[in-house]
Amino acid sequence: MALIELIEEQAVKVPLESFDKEGVIRELVDVLASTGKVSDVETLYKAVRLRETLGSTGLADGIAVPHGKTNAVRDLALAIGIAPAGIDFEAADGKPSKLFFLMAAPPDKAGPHIEALAEIARLSRSKALCSALVSAQNAADVVALLRGD
Amino acid sequence: MTKPIESMMVYVDGSEGSILAARFAVVLASRFGAELHALSVLNTRALSDLVQSHIFLESEREEYRRELADDGSRYLNHAVEMGRRKGVTVVGQSASGSVAAAIKEKVAELRIDLLVMGPPPRIRSRRDALYDEAEMAMRTVDCSVLIARDEERIEELYEELF
Repeated sequence: MALIELIEEQAVKVPLESFDKEGVIRELVDVLASTGKVSDVETLYKAVRLRETLGSTGLADGIAVPHGKTNAVRDLALAIGIAPAGIDFEAADGKPSKLFFLMAAPPDKAGPHIEALAEIARLSRSKALCSALVSAQNAADVVALLRGD
Repeated sequence: MTKPIESMMVYVDGSEGSILAARFAVVLASRFGAELHALSVLNTRALSDLVQSHIFLESEREEYRRELADDGSRYLNHAVEMGRRKGVTVVGQSASGSVAAAIKEKVAELRIDLLVMGPPPRIRSRRDALYDEAEMAMRTVDCSVLIARDEERIEELYEELF
């Protein structure tokens, strides 16, 4: 599944209002819920939190990819948040995270889940793109950048 | 006289496009009297990328590897059953690694002369087009490639088979 198929402006928040890890996860889960794709917000929140307890999904260079597998979504769903000032997400390199991709996947969508996450991993390697995303002024800019417009 | 198509392969990944492709492949195999293989690829390359980039833990890799393997078996069984219903033998093939490389290798190994695939997604970024593994396979395999489109027509052709 192409990542772009999962991206919609309504599920992008610029800037995030939270100041800590718990808050960011909660805020992004709420953003996703606002699209109508989440049947049980609390279950999704717990799934993402549970995954974080096993190890932070804060990668290097200011990117974090919190994710969870749960029946609270029927299809793969993605929320994106930008925090230009950075938030401590217990990242691998100890640096604050600025670009967040929260992905929720139902248990029966392993293939598309892997593909979408792998695509995020790939684009996270583009420093120019990530820098542009962190500088985006609004959700429309984020979507345009990810579309490659 | 040489048959135009001796051996075909369809790539199945559970997507609607690949199911359509499998249906069309059964139709073509029946009409041309060709051998038909269905290939499912366990994308271990993507799993490794996710562990390397720290998005996945090792335990997640194992969990998803098992799930992907189960899914792959299901897709192949579905393709085999689709053929069986119309009297066409579909030989299930499994591979692992990167999807593009696995398709290319199987095409060479089985001496496939027609690869049938589902259509790529209509909405995509330039980046997606560049990295799409199935699309990469289309560009690099050493045989003819057919993209299945027009669901209604393919459905009709499939139903017309005895």
